[in-house]
Amino acid sequence: MFHWLEKNPFFFAVGVFVVIAFAGLIEILPNFAEASRPVVGLKPYTVLELAGKNIYKKDHCIACHSQLIRPFKAETDRYGQYSLSGEYAYDRPFLWGSKRTGPDLHRVGNYRTTDWHENHMWDPKSVVPQSIMPAYKHYFTNIADIETAYAEAVTVKKVFRTPYGDEFKPTKEAWEAHKPSVLAEAKAIVDDMKNKDVKEAVANGQIPEIVALIAYLNRLK
Amino acid sequence: MNALMIKALAFAAVLIIATLVVVKQMNIDLSDPINMITMLGAVAIAVLTFGVAAKYVNQMKTDKAEGELTEENWDGIGEYKNELPSGWAYSFLGTLIWAMWYWTAGYPLNAFSQIGMWNEEVKAYNAKFEEAHKNADNTTLQQMGESVFLVQCAPCHGETGDGLSGKAQDFGTRMSKEQILYTIENGADQLGYELGAMPPMMAQGEDAKAIAEYIAGGMKGEQPAAFAACASCHGADGQGNSGMSPNLVAYDEAVVSHTLQHGKKGQIGKMPSFKTMLTPVQEKALAVYIQSLSNKE
Repeated sequence: MFHWLEKNPFFFAVGVFVVIAFAGLIEILPNFAEASRPVVGLKPYTVLELAGKNIYKKDHCIACHSQLIRPFKAETDRYGQYSLSGEYAYDRPFLWGSKRTGPDLHRVGNYRTTDWHENHMWDPKSVVPQSIMPAYKHYFTNIADIETAYAEAVTVKKVFRTPYGDEFKPTKEAWEAHKPSVLAEAKAIVDDMKNKDVKEAVANGQIPEIVALIAYLNRLK
Repeated sequence: MNALMIKALAFAAVLIIATLVVVKQMNIDLSDPINMITMLGAVAIAVLTFGVAAKYVNQMKTDKAEGELTEENWDGIGEYKNELPSGWAYSFLGTLIWAMWYWTAGYPLNAFSQIGMWNEEVKAYNAKFEEAHKNADNTTLQQMGESVFLVQCAPCHGETGDGLSGKAQDFGTRMSKEQILYTIENGADQLGYELGAMPPMMAQGEDAKAIAEYIAGGMKGEQPAAFAACASCHGADGQGNSGMSPNLVAYDEAVVSHTLQHGKKGQIGKMPSFKTMLTPVQEKALAVYIQSLSNKE
C-alpha cells in the first residue's frame, strides 16, 4: 500500500491530511466541548440585563474595558477570581476586550453598587478624581430598547437553545405578559438610585438606559 | 580519519571557541540552566553541522552503488531495498510507548495548567506573606492599609476616606447622628456579630435623639439614661464587649473585618462584601489605616 501511495501523490496528500486532521480533532474537541459548557448555576441574562448589554455594545465600552480576569496573582488580587470560559456561555458575543484603558469589569457587580454607578456615570470625576472616563449623562434621559432585548432573548432561545422559560415566545401577547417583570426588576434598581427623573420615568413604565446598564453591570460577578 | 573530517572538526572547533569567547566576554552566568542549555545547543549545532556535512561529502566520494533495487523506477532513477536503520526502528517503538503513556497518564495527569500554576503561586505567596507580616508593626500595617485602601476602597470612600460628600461612609468620624437614628429605627443584622441581630426601635423619640447625639459626639459628656438599652450589648463604654457586637466609638479590627466580610446596607447605601478579596493581614492593615484616618483631628 505504501508503494502504491508513493506512486499516487494526490492520495498520499489526502492520507496525510486525514491523519493530521484526526489527531488535531481528538486533541482539541474534548477540551473545547468541556470548556464551553455553562458553569454550574449560570443563568441567561434577563431582558433588562440584555438591554444593558446592548448599551454596553452600542457605546463600545469594550474599547476601554475588558471582561476577562486572567489567572495572574496581580489580576486576581485586584479584580477577584479569574474568569472561566463557561461563564461566557450565554454571551453572544462575548465582550472580553483586549484593551484596559479603564479597569476590567468582569466582576464589577461584586464590588460596586447601583448608587456608585449612578454617581459615576453622571460624573466619573466626582468619585474617581483622576478618571479620564467621559460622563454619560444622556443615559439618564435616553430610554432603553427593551423590546429589542426581548426579541434577542427569544431569538437566542430558538437558535442556540439558551434556557429561557416557556413564556418566551415571539408574539406580542407573550411580550406584554413579560413586560411587568422587566419593569419590576427596573423598579428594584431604581429604589437604590437618587435621580428624580429616572425614578419618574420608571414609575411611568419607561426604563432609562442607565437602569438597564446598571442591571447589566450588577449582574457581572 | 581523513582530511575532510579533520577540516570539518577544525571548523567546528573554531565555532566552539567563538562561542566560548562570547560567553566569557559577556559574563554570561552558566549556573543559570537556560544559559547552559543555550550554550550546549550552540556547541551541538556546530559539531553536527560540520560533522554531518563531512560524513555525506565523504560518502559521495567513496561509496559504490550495490544491492537489490526496488520495483519502482522514476525516469531511470531507482531505489535500493535497504533495511530500516535500527535507530529509526527503535525511535519508532519508543514513540509508540511514549504515546501510550501520554494518552493514559501524561496528558490527563501532567498537562500544564495555568490555573494550577496560579494556585501554586498564590498559595506560596500567601504563605510567605502571612509569615513575613505575622508580627508586623503599626507603621508597616498602616502603609499596607493605605495601598489596599487606594485600590479597593477609594473608588467609593474617596482617596482621603471622607466618603465623597455623603456618597459613602466618612472615616473621619465613626457615625453621624442620621446614621445612628436610622439604625435605631430599622435595627441591624448584617455584620454577623456573635450577639446577633439588633431589633428595631430599641429607643424612640427624644430618647433615640439623645442617644444619637451622645454617640455621634464620641460618647463624651453625660451619658443619657436611655443608653442603658444600648449598653447591654455594646457595653457601657460603647466599645462592643470586646468584639461581641459593633464598637460604636472607633473603627476597631472587628468592625472593619465584619463589614468587609459581610457588606452592609445602611442609611447611606449599600456596601458590597469583600469576602475572599483580602487576606486577614490585609484586613488588619485596613483597620489600622482607617483608625489613623479618624484620629487625624
